[in-house]
Formats: sequence, structure tokens, C-alpha cells
Amino acid sequence: MITPGFTDPLFLEGAVRILFVFVLVTAALVISVRNLASLLTTYTVQSLLLTLIAGLLYLIEGSPVLLAISVLTLVSKVLLIPFFINRVEAKIKISRDMKFNYLEPTSSLLVSIGLVLLVYVFLSGFVGELALGRLFFFGAVIGLSLTLMGMLVMFSRRKVITKVLGYLTMENGVLLFGIFVTELPFIIEVLIVIDLIIIVLLTTIFAVGMDSTIEEYRQKLQRLHIWPGREYL
Amino acid sequence: MILNSDISFILFCLLNPGFVLLISPLYMSLIKKVKAAAQGRKGPRLLQSYYDLRKLLHREVVYSPTSSGIMRVTPYLNLAVLLLASLFVPVIFIPEAPAGIGNIIVFIYLLAIERFFTALSGLDAGSPFGGMGSSRAMSLAAVIEPTMVIAFAALAYVLKTVDLHEMFAITSASAIPVSPTLVLVSISLFIIIIVETGRLPVDNPATHLELTMINEAMILEQSGKNLALIELTHSVKQTLLMAVLINILVPVGLSGGFSGGLTGGLSGGSNLANLAVSGLLGSALAFLVKAGLLAVIIGLFESSLSKMRLFRLPAFYMMAFFFSALTILMEVFA
Amino acid sequence: MSEPLLTGGLALLLLGTALSFLYRSKNCRTVSLGLTFLSSGLLSAFAAGMLYGGREVLIESYSFLSPLEFSFFIDRLSAGFVLLISLVTLGVSLYSIKYVEDEKSEGRKSLHVALMNLFIFSMLLVVLSANGFSFLFFWELMSISSLFLVIYEYEKPESGKAALFYFIMTSLSTVFLFSAFIGLYTRTGSFDFRGFGLLSPEALSWTFLSLFFGFAIKAGAVPFHKWLPYAHPASPSNISALMSGVMLKVAIYGLLRFLLAVEPELWWGVLVLAFGSFSALLGVVYALKENDIKRMLAYSSIENVGLILIGIGLYLIFRVSGLAGLAGLSLAAAGFHCLNHALFKSLLFMAAGSVVHETGTRNLEDLGGLVKHMPQTALLFLIGSVSIAALPPMNGFVSELMLFQAFFSSSALAGAEAPFLKVLLVLSLSAFALTSALAATLFVKVFGITFLAKPRTEGAERAREVPKLMLLGQAIPAALCILTGLFSARLFTLFGLPVGFGSGAEAEVPDMLFVGGILMVTYLLVWLSVRNFGPSSGPRVCKETWGCGGLAQHPSMEYSPAGFSEPLVVIFKKIYRTQLSSSRSFADSQDCVFEHGTAEIRLIKFFEEYLYLPVAQAVDRVSMKVAGLQNGRLDTYVLYVFLAVIALMGFTRWFA
Repeated sequence: MITPGFTDPLFLEGAVRILFVFVLVTAALVISVRNLASLLTTYTVQSLLLTLIAGLLYLIEGSPVLLAISVLTLVSKVLLIPFFINRVEAKIKISRDMKFNYLEPTSSLLVSIGLVLLVYVFLSGFVGELALGRLFFFGAVIGLSLTLMGMLVMFSRRKVITKVLGYLTMENGVLLFGIFVTELPFIIEVLIVIDLIIIVLLTTIFAVGMDSTIEEYRQKLQRLHIWPGREYL
Repeated sequence: MILNSDISFILFCLLNPGFVLLISPLYMSLIKKVKAAAQGRKGPRLLQSYYDLRKLLHREVVYSPTSSGIMRVTPYLNLAVLLLASLFVPVIFIPEAPAGIGNIIVFIYLLAIERFFTALSGLDAGSPFGGMGSSRAMSLAAVIEPTMVIAFAALAYVLKTVDLHEMFAITSASAIPVSPTLVLVSISLFIIIIVETGRLPVDNPATHLELTMINEAMILEQSGKNLALIELTHSVKQTLLMAVLINILVPVGLSGGFSGGLTGGLSGGSNLANLAVSGLLGSALAFLVKAGLLAVIIGLFESSLSKMRLFRLPAFYMMAFFFSALTILMEVFA
Repeated sequence: MSEPLLTGGLALLLLGTALSFLYRSKNCRTVSLGLTFLSSGLLSAFAAGMLYGGREVLIESYSFLSPLEFSFFIDRLSAGFVLLISLVTLGVSLYSIKYVEDEKSEGRKSLHVALMNLFIFSMLLVVLSANGFSFLFFWELMSISSLFLVIYEYEKPESGKAALFYFIMTSLSTVFLFSAFIGLYTRTGSFDFRGFGLLSPEALSWTFLSLFFGFAIKAGAVPFHKWLPYAHPASPSNISALMSGVMLKVAIYGLLRFLLAVEPELWWGVLVLAFGSFSALLGVVYALKENDIKRMLAYSSIENVGLILIGIGLYLIFRVSGLAGLAGLSLAAAGFHCLNHALFKSLLFMAAGSVVHETGTRNLEDLGGLVKHMPQTALLFLIGSVSIAALPPMNGFVSELMLFQAFFSSSALAGAEAPFLKVLLVLSLSAFALTSALAATLFVKVFGITFLAKPRTEGAERAREVPKLMLLGQAIPAALCILTGLFSARLFTLFGLPVGFGSGAEAEVPDMLFVGGILMVTYLLVWLSVRNFGPSSGPRVCKETWGCGGLAQHPSMEYSPAGFSEPLVVIFKKIYRTQLSSSRSFADSQDCVFEHGTAEIRLIKFFEEYLYLPVAQAVDRVSMKVAGLQNGRLDTYVLYVFLAVIALMGFTRWFA
């Protein structure tokens, strides 16, 4: 039997595994939730879960980079980015994204299960779980699956806001994969985060900064071929 | 010759269903109370369900001339089936049961009997409401079934047994959850409780509006003591499902090794017997409190959600299935 | 032959066949069916004895050309299937005595009985065959006699279509089997089934594929299932009971006979499991949409064949993985489900036959309220429904329970492929769970719509209870459904299977007798304790169903069968593939004044339109080309022979 204790590595690994499943569930929610406010909350929760995973890993491994990643994620993805997107959502006055391309939520969830399996098969042929250890290997699987699910969001949802959230989910997947496999240099992670913040800032500026009316924002985006067109608004 | 294990089992057969039957209506009113509080109302008294049952039991039964024996047999059969099912979920102590009592698949299918006959009795009177309820209830129950079976399969995977009694014995022997998977399965089990007992966002137990109702539509033609039996059945079902979740996640207080001491106490000194009885009381009290907490959580959960459109439900169920499937993948791979 | 029970049973059956072939009178038919009943009794006793004793008997009988000989062999497997066949015919023969008298002409009635006896006889001998030759001989006899029974009501246009479908599919099945047995002969020099063990692994895989497809066609696995929903409604109900209950199982027997004789490979199990899961799920999903009661039962047979194949697939996977206990459990589950399906499906087909007989319609939309007029039939149908919906403690539940248990215990799998096998099993398990729950929904619909509420048409209103003998014929499988369910664990122990309860069992199965007993006791307790509540005096109050303020309730207000399955049709709309088409015509040239139009929502018969028809059209085109070669002139044929000789010479010179 396992002895109780919160610093026990076995307990910590168990907790990390539980968080893995929750991460995937948030990704599934990003795929299927229709309310934009809930979508943003889901993304925030997902980032918070990543923060926790990085924190727990720091407790297991003791590497200070993990702690730094944890703090960085907390600041950027849990606080800053949701704050900006919240501003955008408040301005653009649409509360729901009901339209789906190619895949309905029900079938995209089935596809997601398939994706996890595919990634598992792919990685086990590529890396081999013995080289990494089961927990780390599974973390890599979850990270890559999260990336693919983010991509799935980007092509299966219509609204730009949702697409941006899909992109952010994808980046979260990259972060997770990085934590568990490649030991991504911290500086690259910082650069990515700065990149993300700039993207989100740009979206915000487009929406609320330079042009205060939503009409012009749409025209601008249409010129950039990002916005799908007026009938979806 | 009667063995100790036989005594323990006979005692269990009397105690467990009796206790479940006794406490079940309490949680129905407790959930109503919590929901009322969340809405700023006062809500019914905690014992209101008992008063309702007493009132209904003394009312006459009205049958439609269209209805057949199905309508007459179903209330009795359903309560009997649920009482049988209560032998599968020990709430006070775990007995040494003969093979088959405790099998998780038999438990699932005992619940299916209840559903099957309730749906038939919904069709029996020929009312359009009843038919609608039966159709919706059976369809939705079918779609949630994979989630339910996968969740129970995950339990069987982790605990390496298909017997609920043995599962509880394993979980109650350790202080924290045996495996992270169990925590995840518990969440699936929670969703199953919500779906199977017809709570928001799946079904609204508080309304009689044809757009929303599923379970209430099926029993619209039931009256008098038959209705009382049906309500009682429903509450027993809820308690049993809650008990499965509680005994998997927080089995603290469930007496695993007590049966031996108990029978020893019965045949031996009165001191031991006293000890055993007080132990049983402690277990019962522990369950009462834990189930009460769970009922409060269910009430809060219901208060925070609105009813989903009928055809939005498959997506919700798909989410639940996704979750359970991930849980089992996790168990297989990690 | 030294087996008096077996010889006697078969002889009685042949006597019955001859009797109704030769003499066309009512008495002869009754005697003939009586003989069938007797022979079924003898054969069930014989088979039960064989199962209990575990003996094996080899009967070398008649050989007319060296490799072509009839020989028969009885072991536990064939004894089990003889038991299955004879238990079903026990009920069906009694049921048929009154049922066949419905037909107008004397000759056709007698022919019906004769063909039915021949059909039963050939199925028995297929199961008893010890080599490929006698197997194929009686297999063809079985197919032909049942083909005649399918076109028995040849005046109806649908019978023609059904017979065509059935004939083509069953011939295709024979082609596969034939190639497998020929392959066996060329490699081992004999048709004997024992030769399967001598084949090389590669040859074995080809033989497996060929046999599997042959038997899958006959058993009606998806996508080869299309003949079933045509053939079953077209044939008389007693024959549907035999075809669905027994003939499909003969195909399963063939598959098992092969698989038990050889050393299987892992991918076989995966293939069989995949076919089984798809058949089970699609079978029940299609059944839900169906409103023709017999066609619905036919689709449900596809589902059950799928469940049996799931059991066989699990057996193969566990056997290859070296888990003998679980393999035994899965095999026992598959075998037991064969028996159970034979029992409850023949019961349901017979009860549906009674309903069709009394109301004159197979359409669920026209039925309803029959429980008032046909209470015994309703009870029997309910027993069948409860069994097939797998509710404890009935037999259908026990076999599904065993399958579930095998799935749940699959964490014991180990080895390199284990994670993938586990995932496969999890996917298959979810399909299985969905199937099982949908089957319950299906039978709530069928029983509820057919027997409960008010009659929807006059035909349903006029229905009366069928004769006692027909009820007795259904009561036999109904009683067996209950008894085999309650005593399942004891029967397994009695017949020496490694499954049961208590010590010595490799896989434990819950004791249903105990569960059923406690259920009875609790029911009595509930009834006794609640009985005295409520106002004690006065008659029972009867009031009309609440009709939302309307006074009299009209049957058209009831939920219709199509309405009942509508939620599932919406949920599974991807599978059903409906097609919407409309046409409009206008009175003026500007398309402004609407004259008339039609609109329809049609269910695409996916397999028929995308698989069967293209294949059929391709065959058609090829045969047109071939037909072009035939111009009826002698010179042309001589030219063909000339070319053939030249080609043959060339072939032997350079290739052989």
C-alpha cells in the first residue's frame, strides 16, 4: 500500500497523471464549447493546469527551470492573455460560436481519442518509452495530442476568437511536450510567450485600440483574409 | 450447519437494504433544500419526502382502463429489484457474500430492469406523455451506457476484480486512493449519478413541462401507493449510485473486517458484541454524513447548470465518454 | 450405428419427411410433425447425454468414390449444436401443427411440412459431418430446402426479391467454403476435418479467410447481412424461427469446428472481433429504425450473430495470448449465446407469427393493444423480449454477463501487443455496451407498441388468442429461456465446462438461481408489506388516461413506433444516411404559380446501394460480354475449343 504523504514522488506522479487527463478534457472542451466566455475560462484553466504540472515536476525533479516555466505560465497565460482576450470579447459583442467546419463536436471528440492513440503509436515507434520513463513518455503523448487538438480547433471552428484560442491551446501542447521531452531552453519558452502576447495584443489593438467600431475591425481583418466574412458574425 | 459467514451475510441482507431504504428519501429532500437555498428560497423540510411517501401510501390507486398488468406489476417489481441491487453495494460493513452477489455487471443490469419496466409502464396507459418519456429515457440511457460500462471497466481494471464487495474491501484498506485512475473514475461516476437519476442538465426532476421532462413523463399515470413505490425506488437508486462513488473515493468508516468480529461477538461475549454494534453505528453514521455531503454537492451542481436541449445531450455524453475512455487509456498506457 | 437414440431420431425425421411428401392430408401432416417432435425429444436426450458423458463417436458410413465419402463424428461441440437444433425444433414442430393449416391448398401445406423436416434433417447432418464432403453436401441440401421455403409464398413480389438475394448470397457462401475444402483436399489428400491441423501456417491463414467469409455470409455478419432482412419476413414464421434461430448457428458451428481444430493467429481474433462489433452495433441500429416486426427481428439476429462473433474473437485473442481461463470463458459465452439466441429468437419469431396471423399485418404502426386480446402470446413475447434485452436472471443476460466479464478481465493481457489489444478491447467493449442497451430500447419499443396501449387499427382490434397447441409450441422455448438462465452456472458445471461457480471453475459466473431467488423473495416482501396500505374497501378505481383536457383518448394520440425511435434516429443520423428529395411543377412559365409537387425523406440502404448494387452491375456487365461470345454457331464453338487447346499447350510448355 502507498503511504500517505504529499511529497512522496509516487503521490506526485499520480497527481501529474490526473492533471494530464484534465488537460486533455480542457482541450476537448475547447473543441466543443459554444459559449465564448466559457471557452476563455477553459483556456485559463488549461494554462493553470500546466502551471501546476510544471510546479509538481519541479517538486519531483528539483530543476529550477521548471519553476521558472511554472511562474512564467502563470503570469502570461493565466493572467495576461485571458485579460486581453476578455477585453476583446467584451468589445466584439458576440457571445457564442455556433458554427463548425468539417467536424461536429461529437465526432471531433471521437477523432481526438483516435489522435491520442495515433500519437502514442507514433511516439512509441520514434522515441520508445523506456528511454524516457513511463510518466515522461505519457507527458509527451499528451503534449503532442494537445498540439494536434489545438490544430483541430483551428480548422473546425469558424470565429477568429476561437481560432486564436485554438492556437493558444496548440502552444500549450508545445510547452507540455517541451517540458517532458526536449528540455526546451528556457529562453525559447520566454520568446514564445512574448510572441503569443504580441499576437494577442495585436488582436486586442485591432479590436479596441485603433478602431473603436467593430465594423472597421471586420473590414480590416477581411482585407487580411483572416475573418471569414460577414454572415458568420 | 450455519457458518459465521452465513450469519454475517444474513445480517447483511437485513441491515443493508433496510438502512438504504430508511435513509434514501432524506437525500431527495436534502438536494431540494440545497437547490432552494441556492435560489434564495426556504425549501421543504428535511423530512418532507417521508411525509409525501406516507401521504401517497394511503391514497387509492387509479388505473387507466387502457393499461394492463405491466402497470400493476412494475412498481412492486422495481422496488424489489432495487432492494436486490442494494445487496451489491455495502454501505455499513462488507459481508462474505456468496458468488454473484456484488458482481458489478449484475448490478448495472439490475438497474436496467428498473428502466425497462418503467419505460414499458410509460407506454402502457397509451398517453402521449408516457410514450414520449419512455422513448427519451430509453434512448438517452442507451447512449450513456458505453460511458457507464467503461467507467466500471476502469474500476475492474484498476482493482483487478469484478466484484463490488472486493473493490470496496481494497479501497477501504488503504488511506488514500489506490491509483490516480480512481480519482478520475470517480468523476465519471459523478456524471453517471447525474444522468441516471435524471438531474439537471439532463432532465429536470422539478418540472412537469413536456419540453423538459423525461423521467416524470413516464410515471405521469402512476398514482397512490404505486407512485409512492416508484418515488421510493428512485431515491434508493440514487443512494446506491452515491454509495458506489463514496465507497470508491472515500471509503473511510466502511467496516471491512468487522463481519468476523461481529459474528464472533454474537456467539461470544457481550463485550465484543457491544463493540461490534457500536462499530456498525459508527459506520452507518459515517455513511450518513458522507452521503449528505455528496447530496449537497449534487444540489450545488444542479443549481449551477441549466437544462440542456435534448439533442445537445449526446455531445455532453460524448464528453463524459471521452473522459472515461481517457481514464482507461491512462490506465493502459501510463 | 450403435447409437439408438441418434439413429431413431434421424429415422423418425426421415419418416416424417417421406410421409408428408407422399400423402397430402391433414392427419399425415399432424403425424409427420408429431414425429418431428418425437425425434427432437430423442435427439435432445441423446445430445444432452453426449454432453454430460463427454464421449466421442465416429461413424464411417458410406463411400461412393474414394475421397468422396460420408462420415460422421460427434464430440461435445457437435453434440451441443445437435442439442440446440433439437430444442428449437421441439417447440417449432408443435407450433407448426396448427400454423401450417392456414394455407389454402393441401399440396402446399404438405410440401411445407416435408421441406421443413428435410431442412431440419440436413442441418442436423451438417453438424454431425466429419469431413468436408458430407458437410458441403448437407450444407447445400440445407440451403436448397430453405430456399424453397423462402419462396413458399411465391405470388408475392417481395418473395421473389428475397429468394434472389438469398440464393446469390448463399451460393457465394458455398463458393468460399468449397474453395477452402478443395484447398484442404489438395494439401492433405483428404476431406477429413482432422486434416486442418496438418496445414502449413500460410495455408491455414488462407483457409481461415475463406471459411470465415463463407460462414460470415451465411451467419449474416455485416456487410454480408443483406439477405437476412429480406428472407426472414418473406418466409412463413415457423421457418423464420428455424432459419434465424438455427441455421445461422450452423454457420457459427462451422467456424468453431475449424477454429478449435487449429492453432489460431492473433490477427484472426482481431478480424473476428471487429466484424462482430460492427455487426452487433449496426444490426441493432438498423433494427431500431425498422417498423416491420419480422424484419426488425431479422436485424436483431444480425446483432446477436455479432455478439457471438465478439465472443469467438475474444476467445481467439485470449487463446493466442495464453490466457486459457479467459479463453474458455469467452468460448463458453459464445456457445451459450448461440443456444440462448436460438431459444429466444425462435420464441419471438413464433409469437410475431401469431400476431401477424391474427392481425394480418407486420407493420408496427397498425398494431397495439394486443395484450387485451392475446394475453398469453403477450406474456410469451414479454419473456422473449426480457431475455433478448439481457435482463437478469434470464439466459440472454448470462451470456452477455460472461462476455462482459471476459472484457473486464482483459487487464491480464501482457506482451508486446498488449496495449493495443487492450485499447481494441476497450473500443469493442463500448460498442458492445451500446449494442446491449440499444437492444433493450428496441424491445421496449416492439413490445410496448405491439401489445400495450390501444389498438391502432381494426385489424389489431379483431385479434384473438391463437390455439393452445401454438401457445404450447412457444411455451417450450419460453420455459427453457427462464430455466437455462436460472440454472446456467449449474449447467456449465454439469456439462463439464471450465466455467461455473465454486471451486474447480477457472472463471466464476454468478449463480443466477440465487439472484433470481432473492428477487422473488424481495418481490413478495414488498408486495406483502404494501398490500395493506391505502383505502381497503371499495372497488378499484378506473379512470381514463389523462388526455391533456381532451375527453376520450384516441389511438392516434399514442406515441407511434417511428416517434419512439426518433431520438435515436436523430442521434445516429450519420449512420442512417437519409436523403431528401423533392420535385415541383409550376403552372406558368415563370415558375411562380405552384401546381403540385412531391417531397420525400428516404433512408439510403447504404450497403445495398453502395456495395451490393455496384457489384451486381459489374457482374451484369461482364456477363453481357460473356453472353456476346455465345452466338449459337457450331463453327464459333469449334474455334473456341481450338484456341483453348493452343493456349493449354502454350501453358504446359512454358509455365507448368
